[in-house]
Amino acid sequence: MTGLTYEDLVAAATVGLSHRPLQITGLSGAADEHTGLLDPGDEAAALLDAAALLVTAHRAGVRPVTGPPPVPAAPDDTAPELSARAADLLLAAGPVLLADLLGLAAEHGYRAPAPLLPVLLDAAVRERGLTTAVAGVLGARGRWLAGHRPDWRRVAAAVRAGSAPAGASAPVEPGAWETGSRAERRRYLAELRERDPAAARELLAAGWSRETGDDRADLLAVLARALSPGDEEFLEAALDDRKESVRVTARRLLARLPGSAFTRRAARRAAPLLRLEQRGPRRRLVARLPGGADAAAARDGLSPGPRLLTQIVAAAPLAGWAAGLGVDVAELVSLPIGGDLAVVVRAGWRQAAIREADPQWARALLAAGWPGPAGARPPATWPPDHELAAVLPPDARAERAGALLAAGAASPGTVAQVAGCPAPWPAPLADAVIAALGHAVTAAARAAVPELAAVAGRGLPATGPADYAAALAGLAGTDNCPAHWSSALRRAAEAVALRRAFLKEIR
Amino acid sequence: MLALAPDASSRRAAAGLAGPAPWSGTGASGELVWGRFAGSGRSPYQAVADLAGPAYKCSCPSRKFPCKHVLALLLAWAQGGVPEADEPSDYAQAWQRGRAAAAARREINGADPGPGVDNGGPGGAEGGAGGGPGGAKETERRAAAARRAQQRAGRVAAGVAELQMWLRDQVMAGLSGTTANRYGHAEAIAARMVDAQAGGLAGVLRRLSAIPASGDGWPGRLLGEYAQLHLLARAHGRLDALPAGLAAVVRSRIGYTTGRGEVLATPPVADRWQVIAVRNLPDAPIPARRTWLRGRATRRFALLLSFAPDGYFGANPDAALAAGAELHADLHYYPAPPPVRAVIGTRHGPPARGQRPEAPGDLTALLGDWAAALERDPWLTEWPALLAGTPAQARGRWYLADSSGAAVPLLGHDSLWPLLAVSGGHPVTVAGEWSPAGLTPLTVWHGDRAVPL
Repeated sequence: MTGLTYEDLVAAATVGLSHRPLQITGLSGAADEHTGLLDPGDEAAALLDAAALLVTAHRAGVRPVTGPPPVPAAPDDTAPELSARAADLLLAAGPVLLADLLGLAAEHGYRAPAPLLPVLLDAAVRERGLTTAVAGVLGARGRWLAGHRPDWRRVAAAVRAGSAPAGASAPVEPGAWETGSRAERRRYLAELRERDPAAARELLAAGWSRETGDDRADLLAVLARALSPGDEEFLEAALDDRKESVRVTARRLLARLPGSAFTRRAARRAAPLLRLEQRGPRRRLVARLPGGADAAAARDGLSPGPRLLTQIVAAAPLAGWAAGLGVDVAELVSLPIGGDLAVVVRAGWRQAAIREADPQWARALLAAGWPGPAGARPPATWPPDHELAAVLPPDARAERAGALLAAGAASPGTVAQVAGCPAPWPAPLADAVIAALGHAVTAAARAAVPELAAVAGRGLPATGPADYAAALAGLAGTDNCPAHWSSALRRAAEAVALRRAFLKEIR
Repeated sequence: MLALAPDASSRRAAAGLAGPAPWSGTGASGELVWGRFAGSGRSPYQAVADLAGPAYKCSCPSRKFPCKHVLALLLAWAQGGVPEADEPSDYAQAWQRGRAAAAARREINGADPGPGVDNGGPGGAEGGAGGGPGGAKETERRAAAARRAQQRAGRVAAGVAELQMWLRDQVMAGLSGTTANRYGHAEAIAARMVDAQAGGLAGVLRRLSAIPASGDGWPGRLLGEYAQLHLLARAHGRLDALPAGLAAVVRSRIGYTTGRGEVLATPPVADRWQVIAVRNLPDAPIPARRTWLRGRATRRFALLLSFAPDGYFGANPDAALAAGAELHADLHYYPAPPPVRAVIGTRHGPPARGQRPEAPGDLTALLGDWAAALERDPWLTEWPALLAGTPAQARGRWYLADSSGAAVPLLGHDSLWPLLAVSGGHPVTVAGEWSPAGLTPLTVWHGDRAVPL
């Protein structure tokens, strides 16, 4: 008879010896030779002693397992790893600054240190704003690591949006299109769109009628990448979709296809509504209010009402206006428009300039300014200046923002324009920001100081002759500076200093 | 120290009072610590503690026992804020005399000390061996100490016997019975062990109180703990017959502490000690930290144990050692085998940044060392490991595999990812704690840099 095992003893102890007595005459394994030591007259003590023998034998006799294969090794990295000091600086940075620093590291060809990868991947899972920045410094090791966890895999997949070749990111499971979740299907479609735009469209079209409305809207947006005239027919058909959000997406994409039937219709609707009128040397525009929106216009996204004229102007391609009216852009946008319709028409142009990202029109419209009564509130259809300014080339944007700061106090609108200038700012803008902050602090002016300081922490150059960190810290220490202003200024100073230290590490 | 605190709020209150401001006339002599606390009352409270007991008295009206004043006094003493004195203050002496008389009465009457009267604690008080002047007073004090030691031995023996009975009752009635199958079922017997001044046993009992709520397979784990306790109780019964080493192990496991001075009297082991791993134990009765060292020349392991009664390690220089540091120092091992736990004696320089430890072992060596260590201390729960290995995966579980292909399970979920990131599927040097359930990785080396996991 083989001896009792530990499980036998556990079973007996669980029930209780008073309910079911147990005589131990032998034990399994090496402990058996000590069975004689057990006290047959005290069965509880014997059970505990026997258990101790088996437990000790088990604890001392633990053997390793054989068989688990080591994980397949990560591919070698070519990019250098950030230094330990740089890693410490990353850990000290808040999410916004972290994204900036990671961007700098990627720009300089570095990858994240291996020990930091889990922290960065977790941060990117928590904060969507970090995804691209983290994906940019993963390196081969980071992508390999991310492949071990589904939540991290999504972060690594964002590499595609960056500069890395599509093949470098985590592969999409082959069956994802048929059986995956909506997000997985979107990822699958996006990847196919990247490799073969036409095949992606055809795959979407093939199952189109079986998709739910939400799926259609979500998946159609994938076609925004690699959009081409080949997509027009499919998108045009989507204008008749049952689902409003699908129709909105289709219109947005069609408007980006120059020469599509959609844009030709828009141009045809807009052209007759404006004409040039010349009386002697004075020229002006005369606008005619549209009669209404017929079914075809409604299909193209137009709705009857007081905003119809703005809608029609906004939908029309900008290129048609200067040619059709025979006036160059700069003059056209500053011409008076009869019947107090300047705000209505120019609001449409502003929308079109933003949609088409046309710097010439944007510059002209910004120069032309607000045609309504001074101090009046622009209507909701009137895009704010900073949205137009975002279309300008970076140096023009910086110059404009600097001029705005020099002209008046830092209003939230001005701060938005400053924020739109890519970092690091050129010296004139940087100096203008410091000057504006200094003016606000010393004059205790009404100004958006915390907002401008936060923007300055990201935008001020960390290297170069001027020490902007010291300048900010100096402002923070100004007498009578309100506490929340000086803490914002101090945070900005720290951000600039941290960026400087980081740049020193990666150069 | 603050394991003595009756609850968390007393601990916090004590930590707040431990500063020198409201105290006057504090002093320590031998195992007595005393001081006056200017509280809200008209006259200052008089607090006295006897570290040998531990036992305490305070003239404050608090019904918590020990009160915050006693705790604060002990905390201040532990931080070195109480000066050594030649002779106890009059109220401390009076209390001592009263206790001696009460003890004598108890011995005559054979009465059991009721809870709250001469309450014991789980020990943990180390040192306090102040050298007073010689002479008749010294002889008298030694005699008193010997008497106290004897009293304690008697109390512990009674407690151990009671524990043996309790363990037998558990397996007779059945683990699934109503008593056992409840969270906290062993709290009462743990409290009895505190009264019996067997703090080690109390600690084990408190820990195993949580086992019935620990999920599948708990009866097996619980019986294992019971069996090991029973083995310890049995060994205590024949302490005189045991080899000296094992007897020392049993005494230390039961709860007899070894004073720091006694440890420092052992021969020093000089080496450049590399800090290979640090493990925080925030959920222990007293928050603690295990700092694992390895000698560069001797290749010996050592364990420094630090306690943070209020959650902060503060100025404790041992707790300031981080993984990757290297310290040239003399170490003294505790007398109980196997020699692992140690204290730092003379430091030959400040801690410096160390390199990656040389010659990490393989799993065969680790398991051989573990089995040898268990022979000397069958109640060991963990053992230091310094390994060269690669993460491996099978059926969704993670392992560390050495170059021979042998593998052990990796414990601790959060530590896996940085380990995997640093390894990248290549062999790495890993330090951690081994237990029969697997390896808890605590440090991995990225080049020469130690990365805490």
